[in-house]
Amino acid sequence: MSLLKYIFKRLLAAIPVIFGVMTLTFILSRFMPGDPVLAYLPEGKIDWDLYEQLKRNMGLYDPLHIQYFRYLGDIFVGNWGVSQSIARGMPVWTLIMLKLPRTADIALFSIIIAAAVGIKTGIISASHRNKGRDTVLRGITLVGVALPVFFLGMLLQYTLGYLIRIDGVAIFPSTGFKTIIYTDPPAVTGFRIIDALISGQFYMVTDYLYHLVLPVFCLSFISLASIVRQTRSSMLEVLEQDYIRTARAKGCKEKDVINTHAKKNAMIPTVTIIGLGFGSLLTGAVLTETTFGLAGMGQLLIDAISNSDYWVLNGLVFFFALVFISINLITDVLYGILDPRIRY
Amino acid sequence: MQEEIVSKTKFEEEPESSVWGNFYKVVKWTATNLKFLFVPASRLDDLTIREFNYERNRSKRKFIRRFKSVLTIVGILLVFFIATLAVFPHWLAPYTFADANAVLTGSWGPPSDLNLLGKTKFGRDVLTRLIFGARTSLTVALPAIAFSVVFGVMVGVIAAYYGGWVDAVIMRIIDIFLAFPSLILALVFVVVLGNAFGTGPKIDYIMLAWGILGIPYYSRLIRGNVLQAKELPYIQAARVAGAGNGRIMFKHILPNVIQPIIISVTFDIGGVILSLAGLSFLGFSDTRMIDWGNEIAEGRQYLYIAPWASLWPGLLILLAVLGFMLLGDGLRDALDPRLKNL
Repeated sequence: MSLLKYIFKRLLAAIPVIFGVMTLTFILSRFMPGDPVLAYLPEGKIDWDLYEQLKRNMGLYDPLHIQYFRYLGDIFVGNWGVSQSIARGMPVWTLIMLKLPRTADIALFSIIIAAAVGIKTGIISASHRNKGRDTVLRGITLVGVALPVFFLGMLLQYTLGYLIRIDGVAIFPSTGFKTIIYTDPPAVTGFRIIDALISGQFYMVTDYLYHLVLPVFCLSFISLASIVRQTRSSMLEVLEQDYIRTARAKGCKEKDVINTHAKKNAMIPTVTIIGLGFGSLLTGAVLTETTFGLAGMGQLLIDAISNSDYWVLNGLVFFFALVFISINLITDVLYGILDPRIRY
Repeated sequence: MQEEIVSKTKFEEEPESSVWGNFYKVVKWTATNLKFLFVPASRLDDLTIREFNYERNRSKRKFIRRFKSVLTIVGILLVFFIATLAVFPHWLAPYTFADANAVLTGSWGPPSDLNLLGKTKFGRDVLTRLIFGARTSLTVALPAIAFSVVFGVMVGVIAAYYGGWVDAVIMRIIDIFLAFPSLILALVFVVVLGNAFGTGPKIDYIMLAWGILGIPYYSRLIRGNVLQAKELPYIQAARVAGAGNGRIMFKHILPNVIQPIIISVTFDIGGVILSLAGLSFLGFSDTRMIDWGNEIAEGRQYLYIAPWASLWPGLLILLAVLGFMLLGDGLRDALDPRLKNL
């Protein structure tokens, strides 16, 4: 019961943060470069009467607090504005939902691989402390934390995508989502791999996965490095505790000591790192999508800034913040599940 | 023991205050301290009581403990290397600053005798631009971090000390800023600031943006420690002695909670360099300046033809961030209170 109360309290605490985020995006959007009315007009000579009328209709002449409350109401209803320059006339929500599955593909694969491999590797690194495996892993993860995502991406693009070739064809494709001449399967869920599976075109599934290898490897390597480091250090702290010594004195096998007693206690800071890593995953997604030429939400953000499409920018920044807040909420809840002391 | 110390105290006659007398005093002081620092079991014969108590409470040797790990020495060397590149570029670079910004012939040429690492966009030398790029990274990182540390620590200490609604409001505002992924908010900030001042993104706005975005992190970091330190009895003693709020906050609590900040600063310098590289790679920083990220962005289109233009800047970013992270790791191990008795 107190777990539910804890979740409820966390949800309540998130609400003023969401309001604050909306206020911040509103303030930022009013200072954006580019005139939204000007982008809405047709090309050619500017008709200033039409400009005035459009500006009045869009509500840009109203006092600021009225604009703010209208903005809040619009966000709640789901009317996040209409894109001006990127896809003229398309509602922002539709645009974001269109690009979301492409980023979600990379992000979900990366976080799952990074979490699974990272926790296991961290435990191995801690159990064989200062021996060969540990030293090598520490070196690799240290480089991984300091490595810029785009540098790793470009390195992989150059070596695996160009230098090393078998019969003139590179091992991994360096850009793009799919081979250009193939067509997408009919969109059922929006996630292209699932769509391809549903429609039975298995060659498309392999094609998508093949193109996803390099971006997912880049992103997960960076997250993996910090997860391994954190797991290792929290595991080392736990292994020094008295109850581990008791378990060993009682005759527990080493692997049982680690899996049954130590692992759950060491997970707590790691879960925080995984939650924070999701935020860096979003930023990494922006950089990775630019490097590998994938058309996801990161690319949409860059395009929105370059084309001064500030409705899209507004909606996108707010969306990123919402995702991040929900991930932090889930992390807090996981924290409460793993460590019962937190809930009481 | 006490009698031994008192009897061993020598009251030297004051030498005549000539230049050579003072110089000799300084040299002698340096020599005895060096001997104490480097020779592990040496003792000083003329310790006064005050110095004895000082040594008993706080070992100076922890600075040397840092040198135990090879990785930390590598980190210090890397940081020195980057700092030397940043401070002395005009002496170290093969070409001048004007040549690094000029339009020359032979764009994207391969590494040769004249251009050790090849040529980039307008025939400029890659090595020269790398060396000048170090200066840009440190110039953006250090003031930004100084700004966020100063203001973040002030905000955090004030919030944690007063508690109540001040704490709640400040924490909510900090939560709002921490609800965004940092690069995205920095991107938007730089664009907004560039637009608000009428020009495009400039290096000052990037420094300001990273400075403002670092404040929530340091506030939250120091707030936990201040909340713990607030309950200790010496604070009550200071209040009874008549200290006002400001004095207690900044003279009593602050020196004791500053330790995680120092470690965090070294990690954060690496973080800001990395994020600045990301920002320039996307093209949203000042494109007039010589920056490693700008180099990578320019050279990206010619990656297959001229990989040296983009891959060497990336390697240098890696080395710079790695150096600061190793230094931070070493500092953290050295300042760990659990190792104090070793």
